[in-house]
Amino acid sequence: MPIICKSQCGNRAALKRPKTGDALCKECFFAAFEAEIHHTISSSNLFRRGEKVAVAASGGKDSTVLAHVLKLLNERHNYGLELVLLSIDEGITGYRDDSLETVKQNRDDYQMPLKILSYEELYGWTMDRILPRSDALDRGAKLLGVDSIATGHNADDIAETVLMNVLRGDTARLRRCTSIRTGGGEDTIPRVKPLKYSYEKEIVMYAHYKKLVYFSTECVFAPNAYRGHARAFLKDLEKVRPSVIMDIIYSGEQLRFKDTVKKPERGTCTRCGFVSSQQPCKACVLLEGLNRGLPKLGIGKKSKGERMIAKQNQELALRERANLVKNDF
Amino acid sequence: MCSIGEDDFGDDGAAHAMAVESLPLGIVLSPGNCSKCDVNSDELYKLNFRTAECRECFLAYARHKFRAALGAAKILPRNAEVLLVLDGSAESLVLLDMLHFAQTQNTFKRLHCNARVVYVEEQQVQGRDPVHLEALQNLSTQYAPFDFYVIELGALPSSMQRIKDYSPSLNANNELIHKLQKLRSLTARQDYLQQQRKNLICSVAQCLRCTHVFESNISVDLATQLLTAIALGRGGSAALDVALLDDRLSGDVKLLRPLKDLNEQEIQFYIHAQRLKPLFQKGSRYGREHGQTASLQNLTSAFVANLQQNYASTVSTVFRTGDKIAANSNPEQSSCVHCRSTLDTELSDTLLAIEYSRSVSEAGVSLYKSGQDLEDLAKKRLENKDGLCHACRAIQAELDSGNLL
Repeated sequence: MPIICKSQCGNRAALKRPKTGDALCKECFFAAFEAEIHHTISSSNLFRRGEKVAVAASGGKDSTVLAHVLKLLNERHNYGLELVLLSIDEGITGYRDDSLETVKQNRDDYQMPLKILSYEELYGWTMDRILPRSDALDRGAKLLGVDSIATGHNADDIAETVLMNVLRGDTARLRRCTSIRTGGGEDTIPRVKPLKYSYEKEIVMYAHYKKLVYFSTECVFAPNAYRGHARAFLKDLEKVRPSVIMDIIYSGEQLRFKDTVKKPERGTCTRCGFVSSQQPCKACVLLEGLNRGLPKLGIGKKSKGERMIAKQNQELALRERANLVKNDF
Repeated sequence: MCSIGEDDFGDDGAAHAMAVESLPLGIVLSPGNCSKCDVNSDELYKLNFRTAECRECFLAYARHKFRAALGAAKILPRNAEVLLVLDGSAESLVLLDMLHFAQTQNTFKRLHCNARVVYVEEQQVQGRDPVHLEALQNLSTQYAPFDFYVIELGALPSSMQRIKDYSPSLNANNELIHKLQKLRSLTARQDYLQQQRKNLICSVAQCLRCTHVFESNISVDLATQLLTAIALGRGGSAALDVALLDDRLSGDVKLLRPLKDLNEQEIQFYIHAQRLKPLFQKGSRYGREHGQTASLQNLTSAFVANLQQNYASTVSTVFRTGDKIAANSNPEQSSCVHCRSTLDTELSDTLLAIEYSRSVSEAGVSLYKSGQDLEDLAKKRLENKDGLCHACRAIQAELDSGNLL
């Protein structure tokens, strides 16, 4: 006997929602999925009327679904938002070229303006994943003059991050990784996660049934060792009990820290003026490494980097002295 | 999604520091000089990150960890009545031995407290062989003058007996077993059992007029417990699950974990040094026989053990994270009637999102037509006055009939 949709619409169920375990038909699933995102946006006041919002677009399933749903909800519920797609071209050969094609397809499908920023424009260097993409997003968003950036982080990503930060003992990130809005201080652009409560599986189903075009090759640099462990663990947990993803997010939100635990100070980089918790910021260190011809600078221990700089300076000084000596004669 | 290289989540933050290491098996080496007291000894104990030392130096080091945990926090009042929980594992024997030693030292160093020991017999619930009574009685003579008691898990606290009067009860008519059978998933059963065990120990402590309970959890247990608590949605109270002091027991009984700073290797060495004989092997806990993927708890414990093999600092890092978190405590909020953690269900956006998902799934396409305020409906469900926390509700939801309590 076929299973009937839980909403009693009379249709046959097409899928079982991992989040609640309910069997739904396609149409009811779409309605529920979209309504939930609308609920997340409205209950957390993510956007204000008249704002310009950049949708961080990578061409992957999350950002494609995000762009689609935001456009749809913007029209349906009259948010009054100006949506633009913002994409960063890191120049990873083979990966970025194809995914950018997908982003362009999104632009045509959803009639949204698209801005592709290349690393060359931003930093004056083309490189394969040396600088963090989020840093590039911040700089890109500033160029475009948007009020906030919407990213495609889904519930799985957040749960995974909670686990990873517990495994690494990173209390600073553990504090903020579950918040739906980050940044938004004086000179930073707030970043929001409208898909915070959407399961990755449901996003894939939504994209599949809506026949959305997305780029589904895994990034060539994934998976990173430690995040990989957390991810594999989360997938195993999800098989045992699907509600675990929301439970972990809930746990992450409920964690409180003792007063004795040091809080990170949020400062601005003295060199480039962008927000950074380190002095100078990671981007500046990495760029300095490239400009100095020491590409390993900023990767690995700070003390090692300092030693490398000191060594180079010493060599330079030595060479200069040698030049002086030569010139004397 | 690919999230490589986002500084928000800092992927490569610590990767370089996590060099793959293998644990040296080296427990006892051939004769040599102790690097601490320089005395020649037949057996040397080489712990990770320590130089090889003789038996006495090792014992002093391990025992100091136990004393330091209790002493630094000034948590145990002088002449407190202490109940030590014995489950037959290596850890619990080490705790017993250490406590016994601490009491036999001279006045200056002695740990001033009055200890009793209760053996919790889990064989009925676990379906394993009953404990070797003779071995248990030997322990009670070896560790005189401690009084030994036996209680069966699931039985009434009043059925506790002194060891010399104890004989295993034969009727398997245990209410706890019936309740466990009603729960659908092993995850819920293990979670429920853990809570019931705690309640039983608390009642026993009250019967024996003990104000403090010693449990023998070591660092790896607590690291696993922290991750498990997070996976179960118990983040708000996870700190108490892994802290030295857990005050959630009723009747002002306080649960202490004085072995929390010891690791597995130290336990093994201690067992060897003192020639202790564990009554049960580790990993013989309830439900472990169903395999790794049978429950969240089994999975977490396998995950931690596995990661620990490749990254030797895993347990200590997770355990230190547990040290940094504090429990939600709000004197105005009531606590969960089952696990006695502070309730926080009303304030959470995430829980509202879950309930909202349920409501919209039921409404389907007609969600805009019906005119019903689904958010209100979700809020009403969340405000259900059953007095349970989120994680305990998950257990209750699996109990097809009957009440959790």
